Amino acid sequence: MKKRIGIIRALLYYRYGNFFINFFKYLGINYLISPETNKELIDLGVKNSSSEVCLPLKIACGHLLYLKDKVDYLFIPKIIYPYEKLYTCPKMMGLPTIAWYFCGKKKIISPTIKRNFFLPLFFLGLKFKKNPFKIISAYLKAKEKKENKKLSFDNEKLKVAILSHFYNIYNKEIEDILIGTFKKEGFSVYLKDDLDEKILRKKDGFAKNIRWAFERELYNAFKYYSDKVDGICFFFSFACGPDSLIGEMMAKEAKEKKIPFLTIIFDEHSGKEGMITRIEAFCEMIKKKKSL
Amino acid sequence: MKAAFPYIGYHSIALKDFLTALGAKVCLPPPLTKRTLELGVKYSPEMVCLPFKITLGNFIEALEIGADTLFMATGARKCRFGYYSYLQEKILKELGYQFKFYSVSQYSPYEFVFEKMPQIFNVSPLKVLKALYLMIKKSELCENFKNSLRVIRAIDYQKSLIFEKEYLKKIEGVKKIKEINILNKELKELRKKWLKNNGIKLRVGLVGEIYFLLEDFANQELEKELSKFGVLVLSKRSLYSRLKHLLKMEPGFLKIYYYARKYLSVSPGGEALNTIGEAVNFIKKGVDGIIHIFPFTCMPENIALHSLEKISEDYNVPILSLSFDEHTSKTGLLTRIEAFLELLKRRKK
Repeated sequence: MKKRIGIIRALLYYRYGNFFINFFKYLGINYLISPETNKELIDLGVKNSSSEVCLPLKIACGHLLYLKDKVDYLFIPKIIYPYEKLYTCPKMMGLPTIAWYFCGKKKIISPTIKRNFFLPLFFLGLKFKKNPFKIISAYLKAKEKKENKKLSFDNEKLKVAILSHFYNIYNKEIEDILIGTFKKEGFSVYLKDDLDEKILRKKDGFAKNIRWAFERELYNAFKYYSDKVDGICFFFSFACGPDSLIGEMMAKEAKEKKIPFLTIIFDEHSGKEGMITRIEAFCEMIKKKKSL
Repeated sequence: MKAAFPYIGYHSIALKDFLTALGAKVCLPPPLTKRTLELGVKYSPEMVCLPFKITLGNFIEALEIGADTLFMATGARKCRFGYYSYLQEKILKELGYQFKFYSVSQYSPYEFVFEKMPQIFNVSPLKVLKALYLMIKKSELCENFKNSLRVIRAIDYQKSLIFEKEYLKKIEGVKKIKEINILNKELKELRKKWLKNNGIKLRVGLVGEIYFLLEDFANQELEKELSKFGVLVLSKRSLYSRLKHLLKMEPGFLKIYYYARKYLSVSPGGEALNTIGEAVNFIKKGVDGIIHIFPFTCMPENIALHSLEKISEDYNVPILSLSFDEHTSKTGLLTRIEAFLELLKRRKK
């Protein structure tokens, strides 16, 4: 029987998932992706992981435990530098370590990625297929083409920017609550990932000092949006280390620039209603400020 | 110039001497108290880790008594510690204080000696090197002092109070390398002599986040409380070993690195690697138990926590993990320690 690789639908999946899946698909390796995050998976993760880590990591642990007995190998890349010499985050780097203890060392495949995606994946491919040319072609096919994103602002509506990590926000339930509520209130919503890479990877001002790749993106997005939208909503999980610092930095700068800034912190206990009430109040405030 | 820096336990003496040798007047803030913590908590972001809050409170109290130049170390920026200085400077400026803020990177010793320090203090690099040597020697002295103190505390708590007072004065007084060497020898011999005593009931290794290991206020005087039960606390972490590590003169680190790699797929930043390596090292040396301390929501140490669970299973040694935040009560802490020590005693029988 063909061996099957498991991919968790959590954390960096939302960034590099498509690329890895395409790579495995073109290479002809059997793979299984865990289902969309649901309550069962969250409970599984919360029960089995340390109580002090952030919710996204707990969810990732849930996915790991779900896939554990269904696949032969688990694919959890150790992405240290996604690009340039910028770190991901201590917890993402620690996920393979946690996976060792959940599933046993032999089951985990975790290529170390330091900027270069090709070589680690090439050696990984050699484990399953003998033909190196096939691996190279699969890699090249899987590589996504870069698109230049252009953002146009709708000047008739009120505008709000939602800043959050990709793994927090690309979740149906959260999307409904956050983006849905803003849209219901008549706002047009802009996300961090709507922006072009060039803007997100800028290196001026305080952004130069940030050495967490995704935090730098958030901060740059904040800088870009701060003079173009009417309000900014920053959404992060309880116990997220990087966000707690950079978020405060952004909040302080927003205060100086006098832009409405809403910080929402969520964890496994936060209720949907509470979040919606806060967002509605925030919208009300922006509207009042505009009508003055 | 009235320089100030946040306390890091007994090792503050070494830092103070370093700045004094460079010609600065050191304006040490009052000792850490509940007020320091309250001030820090009041002005810090709520989700940040405890060392940020305590050091911020420290800075505020230093500024209140007239300090005008603040020094803060920064790290590799993998964990939150590397960003403390940016936010702290911003918060303090918002509070309306007038001061100069220097963040000192740990990972560029060359720049530190030849560019940064000479520029700030207007001295030659040679003088900086001299001061650095004094600091290293002094921190070694502080480490030896702390090691001896740990032993005498476990044997005779009352006697240790006298010893602490007497030698702290001596350590603060010595300024010449020769005198430091003599004192170093004396402390080492004292420790050897005391170790032969049979009064020590249990030996516990202490690992975790460096600020919590060094600063007694942060860990709620955990070491003192442990030694009141007749426990000898072992800890490798100190400013001396940190300095040696940064200057790449610490051969013992290779062993720790080797031990840690078995349990950690990649270093998640901070001191997770040291924590795990030291824990294994202590167990191999035959301690009765390990206590792991870290601030609440510390990212690297939480990853280390999972590895420590595995180590505890593999070697069959109990490990107690304690996380601290501003709400941690001492009574709760003492209960947990007592229960843990009871467990260790029973295992020993």
